[in-house]
Amino acid sequence: MRSGLTRSIAALFEDAHQLGSLFGRTLYYLLHGKREKGSVARMMFEVGNKSLLFMCVTMGFIGAIIAFQTGLQAKKLVPDFSMIGATYLKLLVRDLAASLGALPLATRVGAGIAAELGSMVVTEQVDALRMCAADPVDYLVVPRFVASVVMGTVVLIIGGFVAYLAGMAVAQMVFDVNPHTFTNLSMVTTGDLTLGLFKCITYGGAIAIVSSQRGLATFGGSEGVGHATTEAVVGSCFAIIVLNLIISTLGYFFVPAL
Amino acid sequence: MSATPSSARPLLAIPRRIGLVVIALADQLGGAGMLLGQVLVRLRPRRIDRYELFRNLHRMGVRSLPIIAATAAFTGGIMVIQAAPFVEKYNAKNFVGWAATFTTFRELGPLLIALIFNGRVGANNTAELGTMKVTDQVDALRALAIDPVGYLVVPRVIAMVVMMVALCVIGDAVALGGAVLTADLLLDVDPRIFLSSALERLDTWDFLVGLIKSLLFGLMIALMSCYYGLATRGGAPGVGRAVNASVVASAAGVFVADYLSTFVLE
Repeated sequence: MRSGLTRSIAALFEDAHQLGSLFGRTLYYLLHGKREKGSVARMMFEVGNKSLLFMCVTMGFIGAIIAFQTGLQAKKLVPDFSMIGATYLKLLVRDLAASLGALPLATRVGAGIAAELGSMVVTEQVDALRMCAADPVDYLVVPRFVASVVMGTVVLIIGGFVAYLAGMAVAQMVFDVNPHTFTNLSMVTTGDLTLGLFKCITYGGAIAIVSSQRGLATFGGSEGVGHATTEAVVGSCFAIIVLNLIISTLGYFFVPAL
Repeated sequence: MSATPSSARPLLAIPRRIGLVVIALADQLGGAGMLLGQVLVRLRPRRIDRYELFRNLHRMGVRSLPIIAATAAFTGGIMVIQAAPFVEKYNAKNFVGWAATFTTFRELGPLLIALIFNGRVGANNTAELGTMKVTDQVDALRALAIDPVGYLVVPRVIAMVVMMVALCVIGDAVALGGAVLTADLLLDVDPRIFLSSALERLDTWDFLVGLIKSLLFGLMIALMSCYYGLATRGGAPGVGRAVNASVVASAAGVFVADYLSTFVLE
């Protein structure tokens, strides 16, 4: 009998293989596929416009919290707040706007993708597509992947901007930092921007791939759809955290912060 | 809402939509608040199904442990990497322990654990209750004179709150381990220096703030997921919609609770 640990390690490799294979096929069809017209735009609306309000609200709160914590921490180390805006912006651009924003985005978008694809699987619509010689990856996954990469990046950038404004308001109200002093772009470098953008794009892609894989692997009726949704949200969030550690480590070596 | 006058009067379309959103929001918040009241009423005298409670504690807490522990370990590592450039520039090796653990304990640990917990446990809970609702099992309970709130909701709420706090304690410990390891490998900070810096500058309050927050997050996720589960309508697609709405509402609720508690628990 295999022990629980062996089985869970085997399941981990199985998952990694499935995700890699889906990613490969998505890239292949991205170049060679014959997409349904307008599907990408529809998905972009679904992923981008419809989650914009939710993302703005959450990023506003996140921005206020981070600015407050940063200020609290800075108060213990250095007495003056003249550089708090610059440091905050650097943190936001380099990591937090992308990595913290991606988690609510994964919750919103990942759950949506998995629930939609999962219901299509259990009502045998995906099998119907296959019967028509249309690969579900080409027709279903590729538009979601493109939409998630493009609109995910856009939404995360807008969210980062909202977080910056919220941080500015908190700095003004709690720590008495003038908005003029707060608006200080001197610490942000091209490297930081590249790193942040790279994170946004990676997270967008990861959300789409993980959630699509979970959605297409659904089985067992409406309970199965709920299960797939759960796994999609957890899987996407976890993928984001792991990717963040990897990209941040690489960034530490190749894109020096200071 | 059988009549839709918005098409006849385009000027009114926008205020009408805003009004609908506000009414829906008030409906959901009020529903979750009333559920909280119903749960509190049933705590005294205690009417809890003990078997359900233990089953839920195990299912929600123990089975979430691996993913929560992995998340926490990575979080600790990420915090050290974020602090790394500042440590190198100012040569502040004896500050890195404090800088990483302060944010992790107070803020990021509870927040990230709550988001993962929301995805794993909250969504699952809504799916389960929603399926019971659309297959009329909740009505069946009522027909058997078993109170659905006492039997289904109270054990789940207690289990989620208790387990969220417990997972936060474990997560803090694991995150500390991840941070120590990353600091040692990446920055050559001796684990002893790291730990002594963390212990010297952190006080118990920093740790407690995290626990209070995770208690609030647990309550938020529990109420939202139970409310959306029991409010499910419209068969199997309805369950999917309920899960989606519940996950999003819980996440938003967690952020709002985080914002308020951050300022109150300074």
